[in-house]
Amino acid sequence: MTTLDKTPASSEGRKDPWSQLLQKVGKHQDREAYHALFEHFGPQIKYYAMANGMASHAEELVQEVFVSIWRRSCLYDWRKAAASTWIFTIARNQRIDMLRKMQRTSAEMPVETEDLWQIPGENENEPVTSLHRLMSERRVRESLSLLPEEQITVIAKVYMENKSHQMVANELDIPLGTVKSRVRLALNKLKVILQDQNV
Amino acid sequence: MTRHHPDSVSLMEYAAGNLSEPHALCIKLHLDKCPLCRSRVDTLNSLGAVMMEQQPKVSMSNDMFDSILSKIDDETAITDEPEIAPAPRVNPLQKLLGENLASLPWKRQLGDVSVLDITDRFPGQKEQVVLQKLAAGGKAPAHTHRGEETTIVLQGAFADQKGVFNQWDFVVLTDKDEHKPVAVGCEDCITLSVLSAPVKLTGTFTRMLNPFIR
Repeated sequence: MTTLDKTPASSEGRKDPWSQLLQKVGKHQDREAYHALFEHFGPQIKYYAMANGMASHAEELVQEVFVSIWRRSCLYDWRKAAASTWIFTIARNQRIDMLRKMQRTSAEMPVETEDLWQIPGENENEPVTSLHRLMSERRVRESLSLLPEEQITVIAKVYMENKSHQMVANELDIPLGTVKSRVRLALNKLKVILQDQNV
Repeated sequence: MTRHHPDSVSLMEYAAGNLSEPHALCIKLHLDKCPLCRSRVDTLNSLGAVMMEQQPKVSMSNDMFDSILSKIDDETAITDEPEIAPAPRVNPLQKLLGENLASLPWKRQLGDVSVLDITDRFPGQKEQVVLQKLAAGGKAPAHTHRGEETTIVLQGAFADQKGVFNQWDFVVLTDKDEHKPVAVGCEDCITLSVLSAPVKLTGTFTRMLNPFIR
């Protein structure tokens, strides 16, 4: 895609400092870049583990995620996902993996976590990078600040505490329908803004 | 081209990593064939990244980074190639069931309906997971659903009063949905369904293993 280089998304992607650092790790095994990523994302992943009930394994999860980042960084493609999105999916998958391993006494897992939850950019047969994809992380960040607190609270519980919508409803003592409608309102807002700015 | 998609709430639960393996499998099979939902999941993955970024900062152990470095050094020392190649793309359904759905040990139920319970392929899950086959041109008797049933069409198509569900279409039915599916087209219609475990206070779990006719 030669036209890609002329789009603002392309320069935007290159300007994202974390994606640049991650590329350096992938291409040159750059340990300084790796350390900078650790300083930024390590505490986020530790908090994530603590929030979702894995407090006693929080640093173990951070380690697993960072070893995985090192090993996979050569596969990272900034055109497919921002570094933060890519790292989030790795943290999510490592968490699922750890839980699966803790729950099974037999190591019998016919389907691997990554068969079910893909890391963006790996094993994809989509050669064309969608603009939508390049912009999505930045757009989400911008539009999230416009959402009312009650919607953000629900989304945070779903993503950080890994609670189902039903569990969130029970905890906040509101009907399931209300939780779902808050999520839908929030997602509509995110999507509408995405559409507005992409068309 | 699929017409019936998972709703945004389910896609969010998927992106957050909150779904059980069988539910995630249904979503993943749909995503593999649906660019629209893939782009929704991209956005939802970014939402996860932004949520993670906005949480309070916590401190790390001092020696944490060093121990990560020594771990990767150990790995590099063992393998000559520190870089990993992308694993070959696998269809998780094929991994579970093999290539040929027709040759599975189907159990004939009433009339045109056959089923295969594959719950045991997902150890430790609470849900029941079943494959259902409606013979080409066949009809299933009218029925409702207990609890919630998530279904993806793996082959062929079926129709009911809500419309036609083609290959890779996604549908969620509840106890409020009574339907009378008919296999349309010249192929057997095969679906994968995940049944939420109903809350049972007493007694044993005696449930007909046939979501087409319950």
